[in-house]
Amino acid sequence: MKFRHLIWLRRTCQALFLAFFVFLVVETRLPPDAYFDYSLVSSEAKGIELSQPVSFFFHLDPLAWIASGISERRWIEGFGWAMALVVATFFLGRFFCGFICPLGTLNHMAGAFRPALKGKTLMAANQKKDDRKIKYFLLTAILVAAVLGMNYSGLLDPISTLFRSLALSVFPGIGIGLSTLFKGLAQSDIKLFNTIGYTAENLAAPVFGYGYKAFQAGLLIGALFLVILFLNRIKPRFWCRVLCPLGALLAVFSRYPILRLEKDESKCTHCGACVKSCQGAASCEPGIVWQNAECLACFNCQDSCREKALSFHFKWPMERAPGIDMGKRAFLGGVVAGLSVPLFGKLDGKMYKVSPPELIRPPGSLRESDFLARCQRCGLCMKVCPTNVIQPTWAEAGFEGFWTPVLVMTGGYCEYTCTLCGNVCPTGAIEKLAVKKKIQAPVRIGSAYLDRGRCLPWSGNGPCIVCEEHCPTSPKAIYLREESIAGADGKKVKVKLPFVDLKRCVGCGICENKCPVKGRPAIRVISAGESRSPENRILL
Amino acid sequence: MNDRFITRRESIHKMFQLSFGVVLVGGIGNPFIPGTALGETEKSGWLVEGVGEKTGYSVKDLTRKVFDAAGGIGRFVSKGDVVVIKPNISWARAPQLAATTNPEVLEAVIELCQEAGAKKVRIADNTIHDARRCFAVTGVGKVAEKTGAELVYPRDSMMKEMNLHGQRLKDWPVFTPMVEADKVINLPVAKVHALSELTLGMKNWIGGVGGRRNALHQDIHETIVDLAQFFKPTVTLIDATRIMIANGPSGGSESDVRASNRLILSNDPVAADAKAALLFGMKPEDVGFIRLGNERGLGASDLKLIRQIRVSL
Repeated sequence: MKFRHLIWLRRTCQALFLAFFVFLVVETRLPPDAYFDYSLVSSEAKGIELSQPVSFFFHLDPLAWIASGISERRWIEGFGWAMALVVATFFLGRFFCGFICPLGTLNHMAGAFRPALKGKTLMAANQKKDDRKIKYFLLTAILVAAVLGMNYSGLLDPISTLFRSLALSVFPGIGIGLSTLFKGLAQSDIKLFNTIGYTAENLAAPVFGYGYKAFQAGLLIGALFLVILFLNRIKPRFWCRVLCPLGALLAVFSRYPILRLEKDESKCTHCGACVKSCQGAASCEPGIVWQNAECLACFNCQDSCREKALSFHFKWPMERAPGIDMGKRAFLGGVVAGLSVPLFGKLDGKMYKVSPPELIRPPGSLRESDFLARCQRCGLCMKVCPTNVIQPTWAEAGFEGFWTPVLVMTGGYCEYTCTLCGNVCPTGAIEKLAVKKKIQAPVRIGSAYLDRGRCLPWSGNGPCIVCEEHCPTSPKAIYLREESIAGADGKKVKVKLPFVDLKRCVGCGICENKCPVKGRPAIRVISAGESRSPENRILL
Repeated sequence: MNDRFITRRESIHKMFQLSFGVVLVGGIGNPFIPGTALGETEKSGWLVEGVGEKTGYSVKDLTRKVFDAAGGIGRFVSKGDVVVIKPNISWARAPQLAATTNPEVLEAVIELCQEAGAKKVRIADNTIHDARRCFAVTGVGKVAEKTGAELVYPRDSMMKEMNLHGQRLKDWPVFTPMVEADKVINLPVAKVHALSELTLGMKNWIGGVGGRRNALHQDIHETIVDLAQFFKPTVTLIDATRIMIANGPSGGSESDVRASNRLILSNDPVAADAKAALLFGMKPEDVGFIRLGNERGLGASDLKLIRQIRVSL
């Protein structure tokens, strides 16, 4: 049985899956259909559902599933696709890397577009090299760390990496550029420019976000994404061969290939065409042993061979493939790293000694240890948030929680009747909440406190009440008392002073966001009082 | 009193009569007569109050009846007009919570405008919560879909700095759809507010501007009147079908809401607010921006100076 057209099947699949991935990145948003009626959603037990399965690629990702499952020591639900992929990989090898993985496709394209390597350099780059072991080292480190309860698979997982890069860096970057352009057009005195700007904005805003969307670690995330793409100039699919822990995991699973590369040495002229086209440096040329675990199932070798010396066959009975080329050092190094990273990660004591006040997690987040065990740092919650309040952390969650979501209220606030972040979270680090439950429980993410020295009425600078006005709970958590406060001239003036009732405050942060004292507002939300953490409660 | 108001021709006659009368009254020095606006054509202040008396009355029918009593929608909207309707949809709250304009009233008004031959009807409000959520949750999005009215997403590029010529507000970003229209219908909801006492028609114009709106509170009454002086609606229709009597302006619970079954239509923004203030058991003169609006000549807070019609359903 021969597959001459497999290469076209592969290309078609790659294009479709990449397009689907980008489509899902775009669809990870508040449903743009303003005509959609969810006036009843707050009284229903069901939350707002997105129309597209935006977490599809995550649920196809066995690394995310296994790493979060191990670190939380629990069976994580919703990963049926990932299980199916593991089973398929046993028999078909790393077809995921060649056919499905959208980051793999981008790397493939980056390597093929104006390639830096040709002829001998390309031959040399595509030889079996020891650097391939790095990915096994990283995989071991991730899994051992997961055993110790720390899950940082998301930092290197290709699905998370690509989603994060697109959603937090590429799309917002383009969006900010377009917004600036549209604003310029709209402010022009020429009517035609206004019309063009308005129409273009109507088309672009649903894709790139309304207004300016910005993420605090966006620059670093984008820079790393560029580095990943430029690494293809050192060798084709550098990321996939050398770094990708998901690729390593799938390599471990590809044990009994029934789809096998058959080499006919007698036909081979040693022209090197197959080696030059090989994406995985999987020793495809006749005369040496084919590295099934490194093969990305691109089928380039078969396609490039003019002598028809190479061909893929379904072969029965299946036979055990040679093991992965991991080596003792990569394994031991991985174990050491896996043991030390979680321990060093706790050295800053952020998670265990103090509760960082600025670490406000999205509503429905699990308690911190479980949250970190599951969070993929993928950016789905950050992308979907309509107010742009959810940001990737720098240091707020400590070393262990780098790039996990945190709410920065000066940039947005948590909408009282919105539960989108929990609805898109692929691993359930943020629980799926119904709006009704969020309001009635209530789910608190922190609590507000007043800085009386800054507050306009408290400091004798006149009336305000903006925080009270915006407070979404009923009865309001911010209440007012009329008192006489002396102003700068010593005269007493009657003003309404705001107070916070901690029993009612849910920590949504709209008070902080709308406070006229910008930058460091006069009312701010801290994580204390969050309902997810028994240790971080304030009231008895 | 007859249900029909006056036609355009009659109104010109009336206008002459009234301005004559007003000059007389003004001469005696009545403190409640606004000085500056008197010479203007539509100074004949009138107000229509529509009351839904029967249980289960149709809000849409009541809206129509109120406009009919005022002389029909044709009096305000002409063929080919671009009409902007400014509801209050600042909060992403369900309609029954009364934090936002009743979508049924909005729907009726849009239909009336369309029947009058409006070229385009736009719904515009610079909301506080995310606008897309406001559209979807308040029911306004559904209305737009049903009627074909254009729902304007308030965006940064639509805010243009203009001189408001106010006492406190000079250069301020204005939400441009509000000023790029032939006719403007102000369609607020009536509710309480901790600082300004009430949120009614004049205060609704805070949703007509952008910029640092949260600083307006430092002199709320003066700035409300500044805004009301800048945005001069063709007509104001206050939705008091249900009013929010506590926890305003955002509310959040049905216990904050009381049925009032009323619509107040007026060409005088101050009088409309004054009439609505009565629903909350307040004297118009006790509400800062109503008193100030009267003092600054925006309209009359003394309802005795206003020709009133009551219709019911």
